[in-house]
Amino acid sequence: MRWGFVVDLERCIGCQACVIACKAENGTPRNIHWMRVLEREEGEYPDTRRTYTPVRCNHCANPPCVKACPSGAFVQRPDGIVFVDQSACFGDRVCQSACPYYIPFRWDGGDGYFGEELTPYEEAKYGQFRVGTAMKCHFCYHRLDAGRPPACVEACPASALSIGDLDDPESQINETLRRRRHFRPREELGTEPGLYYLVGKGGGSVGGMDLAETDRG
Amino acid sequence: MARAAGRPGVPAHRSPRFGVPVALATALERAWSGWRGPHRTEGNADHRFVMDYPVQRHWRWKIAFYMYLSGASAGLVFFEVLLRWAGAIDAETATLGMTLGVVLSLIAILSVFDQLGPVARWNFAFALRRPRTSVVTRSVMGILLLIALRVIAVAPELAGFESPWAEGTATGDVLRALILAVAIVYIVLSAMILSSWNAIPFWNTPMVPALFVGFSLLGGVTTLPMLTWALEGQAAMETLATDLAPVAGALLIANAGLLLLHVQGMSTATRPARVSVRMLLHGAVRGRFLGGVVVLGLAVPALLVSLQLAGSMTGLEAPTALALAVAVQVGGYLLRDAILRVGVYGSPV
Repeated sequence: MRWGFVVDLERCIGCQACVIACKAENGTPRNIHWMRVLEREEGEYPDTRRTYTPVRCNHCANPPCVKACPSGAFVQRPDGIVFVDQSACFGDRVCQSACPYYIPFRWDGGDGYFGEELTPYEEAKYGQFRVGTAMKCHFCYHRLDAGRPPACVEACPASALSIGDLDDPESQINETLRRRRHFRPREELGTEPGLYYLVGKGGGSVGGMDLAETDRG
Repeated sequence: MARAAGRPGVPAHRSPRFGVPVALATALERAWSGWRGPHRTEGNADHRFVMDYPVQRHWRWKIAFYMYLSGASAGLVFFEVLLRWAGAIDAETATLGMTLGVVLSLIAILSVFDQLGPVARWNFAFALRRPRTSVVTRSVMGILLLIALRVIAVAPELAGFESPWAEGTATGDVLRALILAVAIVYIVLSAMILSSWNAIPFWNTPMVPALFVGFSLLGGVTTLPMLTWALEGQAAMETLATDLAPVAGALLIANAGLLLLHVQGMSTATRPARVSVRMLLHGAVRGRFLGGVVVLGLAVPALLVSLQLAGSMTGLEAPTALALAVAVQVGGYLLRDAILRVGVYGSPV
């Protein structure tokens, strides 16, 4: 089994509910967002529009962070989920340099959202992280293991986010991918991301990036 | 904490197996950096919610300093062993070069140690866990091996004993050959740290390690005459500086060519690479790059070496060699710093 994540860009309305749900679920510290919805304005007045692209860890099948990490703190589970074993991390930030999606963070402790003194919520939530180590989206695997979807998927009011088993040809996610036009982020880098973006019928533009553009990086 | 304990892989505040216990790490951290006040997480707050090409901010001058010092140290040892074999420097200078190399390497390690995560940094020994996949692990192993070999080489002499592996003995020759080999491997390995990942196009090219190797060797070849000056006097230094001038000249030409090729190549490459070049030539890094690397690190040394080769510096060999060494060292550091600062990621999508 391999977990996959699908984002329907036609449905995303940029409400950031997934961002807030992720923060509430995982209690990530100030300035650290495991889930982000990137915005981009395109077109020229009066024909302008704003596009939204949710990004998070892609849980790549060939993850550069796992290979680059000298301490083995980045671990890939058999179901494809890549997580950080904070007890092994010593905060060298190699993962940040190696990840082409600019995903991992390092938390050095410090203030909460309301200043130096942490709220009881922050105290409880921040306490689960080790100071000075890397952190990133872990696909809410504590929820998956309990049979529940990740917090971001559950919170999306537009049903733009969904998950499924990529190894099962009969799964809903594979059925959707067979039916809809899609692409994976920066697939040309060989990371084999487990995240798919669904695009509309006429969609020449995705998340603000022109699909025909060949020099994304 | 109780919550986290139930999660596989997120063993919050649990002492890692074989690692330093958290209480001890916290106490050590207080001693190491308590005087500096609370740490701020650089390179996180700039995760903006817009689609763009983010610039890396998590590796700054401490990493540049590490790369520069460790490269300079290995370059110094490389030439010191070679020149000693060739009989161009005496045993005392060779020992000083070896000792200075160890000191530079240790300072480099301290610099990178300070860059590691607060508290978590005390588990730095974990850096050795993934030699099969991580170029960083291999590089750390390389520098530790190089330090160990150099300490072994000079320890008996520094302690005042008769060295069992003194020069001329079979063991001594093997040891020095080993040091030379490890220095070469280490220079290449440490130079490959940036180029081994494809996240940042400006780094992900063989030109970056080639440049780092070139600047490391240049640093070594221009520093050695200074050591000779300190131990053997001005006459020996002048002879060595004159002998090494063609080597320094060749390295300067090679480095300038590599730099030009790299910048030219990147200026016609992918968009993030072009953004890097724009930052380098027209942005905030312009002063460091054009003034520090191109003028101070390459043009000024090229002028000085040309004058040395033309024999126009008679009577001024000492100040010329000193100016050359300083310019090359500053240029070498600023090259690493500039390359780190213009690290631009591609689009995340």
